[in-house]
This record gives sequence, C-alpha cells and structure tokens, in this order.
Amino acid sequence: MSSNEYSLEVEGLSKSYRMYQSPFRRITEVLSGGRIKGHQEFTALNDVNFKMKPGTSLGLCGANGAGKSTLLKVLAGTTAPSAGRYRMKGRVASLLELGAGFHLDFTGRANIFMNGIMMGYSRREMEGKMDEIIEFAELGSYIDEPVRTYSSGMGLRLGFSVAVAVDPDILIIDEVFAVGDMYFQKKCVDRIYDFKRRGKTILFCSHSLYDIRQMCDDAIWLKNGNVAAIGNSVFATNEYTSFQRDHIGTGSGTLSDEYPDIPGSETRGKQLPRIVDARMYLIGTDVEAYEIRPGDSIELRVWWENPDPKGTPINIGTGLLRQDMTTCAGMGTHLDGVKLEGPKGCTVLQMPDMRLLAGQFLVPVLMMDGEGVHKYQEYLMPENLVVRNETKELGLFRMNHTWEHRHDLPVPAPKAVI
Amino acid sequence: MSKTSPPPADSPPEGSPSAWVTSQPPRAIEILRRLIGFPVMVVRHRDLITSSVKRELAVRFQGTLLGFLWPLVHPLFIFAVYYFIFTKLLSFKMPNLQPGQESAMGVYMFIGVVVWASFGESLGRGCNIIVENGNLIKKLAFPSETLPLNIVLVNVVTMIFGVAMFLLATFATPVWKAPGIELLWIPVLLTLQTLFTYGLVLILSTMQVFLRDTAQVVAIGVTVWMFLTPLFWVPEAIPQIAQYQGFIEANPMNHIVYAWREVLMGVESVLGEVLNYTNDLAIPDHNGKLLVEITRLVSEGSTVEQARAAVGADLVPLSMSHSLIDSIRIFACWAVGMFVTGFSLFSLAQRRFADEV
Repeated sequence: MSSNEYSLEVEGLSKSYRMYQSPFRRITEVLSGGRIKGHQEFTALNDVNFKMKPGTSLGLCGANGAGKSTLLKVLAGTTAPSAGRYRMKGRVASLLELGAGFHLDFTGRANIFMNGIMMGYSRREMEGKMDEIIEFAELGSYIDEPVRTYSSGMGLRLGFSVAVAVDPDILIIDEVFAVGDMYFQKKCVDRIYDFKRRGKTILFCSHSLYDIRQMCDDAIWLKNGNVAAIGNSVFATNEYTSFQRDHIGTGSGTLSDEYPDIPGSETRGKQLPRIVDARMYLIGTDVEAYEIRPGDSIELRVWWENPDPKGTPINIGTGLLRQDMTTCAGMGTHLDGVKLEGPKGCTVLQMPDMRLLAGQFLVPVLMMDGEGVHKYQEYLMPENLVVRNETKELGLFRMNHTWEHRHDLPVPAPKAVI
Repeated sequence: MSKTSPPPADSPPEGSPSAWVTSQPPRAIEILRRLIGFPVMVVRHRDLITSSVKRELAVRFQGTLLGFLWPLVHPLFIFAVYYFIFTKLLSFKMPNLQPGQESAMGVYMFIGVVVWASFGESLGRGCNIIVENGNLIKKLAFPSETLPLNIVLVNVVTMIFGVAMFLLATFATPVWKAPGIELLWIPVLLTLQTLFTYGLVLILSTMQVFLRDTAQVVAIGVTVWMFLTPLFWVPEAIPQIAQYQGFIEANPMNHIVYAWREVLMGVESVLGEVLNYTNDLAIPDHNGKLLVEITRLVSEGSTVEQARAAVGADLVPLSMSHSLIDSIRIFACWAVGMFVTGFSLFSLAQRRFADEV
C-alpha cells in the first residue's frame, strides 16, 4: 500500500470551538434541539493538509493564536477535529506542556513514574527507563525531593526527560525547547537529532524560527488557522519573515505579541525599533554571499528603524550558530561600544578573513534595548550561511597557527613538589 | 533501548497506520465495542489506575498524624453523631430485641453510614473530577474514563477499611455476632456498588463539564438521598411506611444497603423481631396485612418466596419481604444499567472535554 510510506497523514483538518456567552444560552440551545443557536463558532484551524515520512521533521510557525497549538493538540489526540481526518503509524508521544500532570507533593522519581504511566507505558517499562530518565534530567539528589521544592527550570528538565525517554515513533512538541539552561537545551537538541537519525517523525511548533530552520526539514506557516505557506523550512520561515517585514507596524495586531512593547515607555506598536532587512555580502561589494569558503571576507548589513522620537537606545546583536545550536560567535554593538543613533540607518558588521570551517550556520540578527538585554526582534536572514572546506582541516574554525622545528629546547626538569 | 520495549497493546502493528481519526462522533457499534472492551481497558491501564488510586490515597493521608486511620474516623464520627441524635434524642430503636441484640440499632446504622460515606464521597468528589483535571485532559492524551474510576475506587478502598474494622470488632468483641459464610458475598457487593457508583459518577462528571451547576445540585441531592435511604431509620418499624413503598423500592441504594446489612449483620433475623413488632401495631393498610401474613408464614418455617407466593406475592412490596438474593438481583440490574448508561454518555461526550474544561 502506497499510503504506508507515511507516518503521519493529515487531510482537510479543521477545528472550531463553540463559545457560549452564558450557560443559559447553552441550555436554551440544547433544549430547543439546536433550533435556537446559542453559540458562536470560532475557527482555530482550517483545512490543513500534509504528510510526513518517518525520519522527517516538520516545524510550525506563526503568530500567537494562528492555530499551531490547536493543530498539535488535535494530532496529539487530546481534542477531536471538527472536520477532516488524520492517521498515524506507530507510537505517539506528545509534549504539549512540560510537567503536565506532575504532582507537587510527590518526589521527582514518583512523578516520572506517574507521567510515564499516563502516557500509556507499563510499570515495568517505566522501571526499566527510570535510571536513564534520572540520568538525563541530571537533578542529582533532588530527584527524591518533592517537585514542590524544584525551581521552574528543574521541573521543565524533568518533564522533558520523561517525554523523550519513552522513545515514541512520532514526537509532538509544543514550544518547549527553551528548556532550562544552555547546557540542557543542547542536550535536548542532541536528543531530537538522535530521534531523527533513528527514523522517528517529529512535529513541533516554535516561535524561534532558528529552531525550526535548524531542526526541521519542512515547515508550515500558519496564519489565522490557515496554511499560509508549506514547504522546506527555509522557504516557509522566509515567507513568514517577509510577511512580518511587510506587515509589522501596520497595526495588523497579530504580530504585536511577538514584539512586546518596551516596559514603562509610551513606545507602542508602530514606534518599536525594528530591523527592516539584513543581508550578507562579500566585503565591500554588492554581491550577496551565503555560500563561502574559509578565509573569505564578508560583511553583514543591517537596515534598521527606530521611529521613537525620544530615541530609545538600541543595539544590534548577531552571531553564528552551527546546526547543533553551538554558538560559534556572538557580536553586539553594545559589547563593542558602538552607538546607533538617528531614526534609521544601516549598520555594517565587517568580518574579514572568516575563520569558520565547513558547516551550515544560522545568522540571527537581534534588535535589542540599550543594555543589550531585552530583545525587540529576532530577524531571520533569508538564507543560512554555508561554509565549504577545500582542505581536510578539522574542527569548528581555523586557529591562527604556525608549525616550527627546534633543537635548542631540552625536556624541562620536573617541578619541585611544594 | 527502542528494541527492548515492546509496543503497548493499542499501538498498531509495525508498518500499518492506525485507523483514520475523523470528526465524526463515535457510532453505536464503537460505543458497544468500548463497553464490552471495558475490562480490557482496565487491565491494560491497570498500572495507571492502581498508581492513581495509591497516589490519591497517599495525597489524602500521607503526612497526617492518623494516616490511614482517617478513612475510619470520618464515618465513625458521622455514625456517632447520628447515633446520638436518632437513638438517644429521638429514641429510634428496634423493639423486641432478644438479649444480646441491644446493639442492633447501632450496628444497623454503622453499616449504613460506612456504605454511604463511600458512595456519597464518590459522587461529591467524582462530579468535579473531569473539570478538576482539565489541564491534564487538555495536555495529555490518556484514557480520561480512568479519572472517575480512580475516585470511585479510592472510596471503595476506604470503605473496605470500614468493613474490615466492623468485622474485626464482631470477631474480637461481643458487640455483635460474627457473620459467617455470607461474607463470601462481599466481593460481589463491592463490585456491584463500584459499577453503580462508577456509572453514576460518569454521568455526573460529564454533565458537570457542560453545566457547572451540576456539582451544586449533586451536593444537595446526595444529602437528600442519604436521608431518604434507610440508613438511620428502619422502614419495617414505621407503621405508615406502606404508602411510601414504591418510593423506597425505587431507591437502588436501599437494596445495596440492605444487602450489606444482611451480609454483615444478618439483618433478616433481626428484622424478624421488628416485623413481629409491626404485627402488634396492626397496620390497617392492605399491604400491611399481607406483610403480617408473610411474617407469620416465615416464622412458621416457609421461605420468604413461598410466603409471598402464598399471599399473592406481587402485591407485596419487596423491601418488606427482602431476601439477600432479591436485593442483590435488583441492585445488579441497577448497577449494570447505570454503568451502560454512564459509560455510553461519557464515551459520546469525551471527545469534547478538552474544548470545554
């Protein structure tokens, strides 16, 4: 059967919610046998179609309320579709909220157990996985303390550890990558990659377009419940980004959530500082360059606007992130003491003799506040930066180095023990 | 790691996709399949159910001074209060008792309270169970029909504590004669009571999802129902009861409470004394006369069935001519009916829970 090659098939999936203004209206509707309509329909998801093969990953992006979580909820089976259908092959685990079902009075260990059993695993299976989960969560002696005593990050660690340990065929994750500290995030990303390598299917949504580009083969941009773009992850995220670029500040409303206002300032909506465009060029030329070799000199040009008449202090930050989420370099105007003044401008970051070795790198461009702490905007460049090696050099970057042969340096005498 | 773990029973065989999940509500045949498959569901999710019940018990009693004595303390206090009010202040009693049966009224009430404490608590807590666990239902795909079951089972466990304590008291002290072979009925009674309560809780928790007034109504309803069920009073000892016969008959809890009393205290023999007493009162009502006749026949050695047949049994309300088998049979019908109704309703509504809670 040809349909068997897919691990997940979704056809015309829609989800709408009925909203009753009061219980009285519901009662009226029920008692009248539906002749008196007491509800308003809200369509959260409209006619979504896609198919996934084992070993692929799909990312969902879109503004808040676009239907990302609804789609994941329907596929996770916690809520029924209003129209359309879907089917899956294999064992499904969903992580719609980290720590859903944790009981605060019980120890981490007991909660791991309960959580796994809720997901449909047997006592024996959970006992077998317990050590692995505890090891992954790295909570130390806290594992035998009540979850009440955990920091929020520790709770998230525990939740993630359970979800990935149960080893599903299809993993559904809702916006839970920002788990814990950098070290743990790296572990999570590694685990997700490991999943992919072993032919599992991964479906997740994120506000971080970098995450989607990094971890997904394909992506869907959802807009007001509709599929606005579907395709490979760079294409879909670019569509979303260019939509954002065109619509930011037009008062469309849907985007404002992602670009929060400056706290305590009158700066709102339109007045937010923002990045208009950002591109990579070969240094000093107008040649856009996204495929380069080690040693090339490149420059990043960032066009920005800061419409606030009071001149909110802003900074621009950028970096190079390898696909496994290793931050290879991080640069910021605040770190180098560069001031960005005026209502708009183009800031150029020159990177002569680029030393990175082969790999694909994300180049996030951030619009940040005066202290370089708060992010107004994360801008995504239209393409990832691809570095191709022509030598057999190993590692992340080319170290400045020379080799020399010397005869005048004898073996040093052992150091005296103090 | 992936190789060592066998797939759970509900995952389709390797290589074939699961059935389409559509927007259609489950059809009758699917609900029927789920009803029949209920024991399979329970077995498959036994770990979930047992650990939830354990957890719920632990939540209630862990860290308290009395620990697992608490499920006994609660009915004991209720019993003590009502015992004081009804037998001391209002002088309710079973008359004409033989020597050694002075504690009959106390035992009679205690059993009623133990049964009701479990049942009432199940309804009160169970009603809210789906709404309470809304976050879980929204975020985790798991069989939500286990949630009401957990609550019912927790209360069954606490009830077992009460029954065990009663048995301990009858075997260890002369307060009441120890029951004998009838104890074998206990698993049957527990099963039927669980089934009945579960069915009712399924209905109420489903209603609560869509209409939040349900819990309030249930709170009142449980109290009213408690007084309408012969927990603190002996219907056979009330002369004017005959006109309410139908009403008492229609109350399923009457039958299960009767069955428990019959099993634990041999109530039939105790009531025999009471019936002699009603004989003295000479109930003018037709039913009363028949009852007196039945009582006479029974005292002469015929079985209740024979006696009923002899006087035109159909006219005689059952509660006055109870036998253990009769009450179990009637309650079993109630239990199965309630379970089928409740489970079907729940199955139909389940898919909408996440949108409503």
